[in-house]
Amino acid sequence: MRYAWISAAVLATALGSGCATKKGFEVPGQAFGCPIGDQKIASMEDLVKAKVVMEGSRTTVIPTEMRCSRSGDLLRIDANLNNDSKTVKRVSYKFRWIDREGMRAWEEEAWKPLMVYDNSNLMVNTVAPTNKAADFRLVLRSME
Amino acid sequence: MSIFRYVPRVAVLAAAVALAAGCATEKTRYGDERGVETVTNEFGSTDLQTIAESMARSMQTAPVIVAGNLPILTVQEVKNRTSEYIDTRAITDSIRSELQKGGKVRFAVDQSGLKQQTGEIDRQQSGYYAREQSVERGQMVGAQYRMEGNITSIVKQVRDTKDVYYKFNLQLWNIRNGLLEWSDEKEIRKTTTRG
Repeated sequence: MRYAWISAAVLATALGSGCATKKGFEVPGQAFGCPIGDQKIASMEDLVKAKVVMEGSRTTVIPTEMRCSRSGDLLRIDANLNNDSKTVKRVSYKFRWIDREGMRAWEEEAWKPLMVYDNSNLMVNTVAPTNKAADFRLVLRSME
Repeated sequence: MSIFRYVPRVAVLAAAVALAAGCATEKTRYGDERGVETVTNEFGSTDLQTIAESMARSMQTAPVIVAGNLPILTVQEVKNRTSEYIDTRAITDSIRSELQKGGKVRFAVDQSGLKQQTGEIDRQQSGYYAREQSVERGQMVGAQYRMEGNITSIVKQVRDTKDVYYKFNLQLWNIRNGLLEWSDEKEIRKTTTRG
């Protein structure tokens, strides 16, 4: 009987720690450290879909991973761009900053050109220009 | 006689050129001031915007900026060590604007604006203005940190290819103790090929 209690406790601990390993979902309203509001984000794919906007000419370079953290009171973002084609791709990107009310927190950024080698990943990172920026979108367009 | 033999041909050619010039219509349109500009591979608006944004964002995360209670900065010279003319003041102005809007720093009057600043104080102290509304001498606030930097370039050119590499370096120096508190770089490479 005593062993049964111990087994149950071990199982409960294991289950508890198993749930705790679901990284990025520890804080409500955040996924992988990124603000998500009341959106339902269950995976990295969901997060990327929610945060990435394609404008103009579509590109085959796609963000595959995105993580956020805080630098003081500023939002810091890392986004991994993947080019799985056999040719070098040129894209441009910018971040759009949104405040708590859903309004623009900063003026439109300049497009930044980028070259991504064939079958390669490239990490772009940025820091929010102001602490009013509570959310963001990564905007991508092809330059081919 | 021999000269006059070519006159009709030259006249026809001149008329053709004049017609062509006349027919070439000129069109002016507004463009995206924040779009990627690749007209030539000389230093351009995209380079200026990219450098300013990158430097300002990086500087905002410097420990002295994060920890400080609105530290006061002054802008010093950014040396142009490239082979082309670059208005480095435009770069520092953009960095200053972005930082100022970010609300984490304040700027004291810099060397280039000092003459206008003291000139205005002197004017108000000239005796023509109401004393109680005039600013007093000795009230200006000195900066705690100075921002300076340089831009360098490496240009390589062969027959059909020109490669330009820019490196912009910016530093934040503590004026009181002379310590380098923050420094960062932004690199840009542009290659132009013909044909």
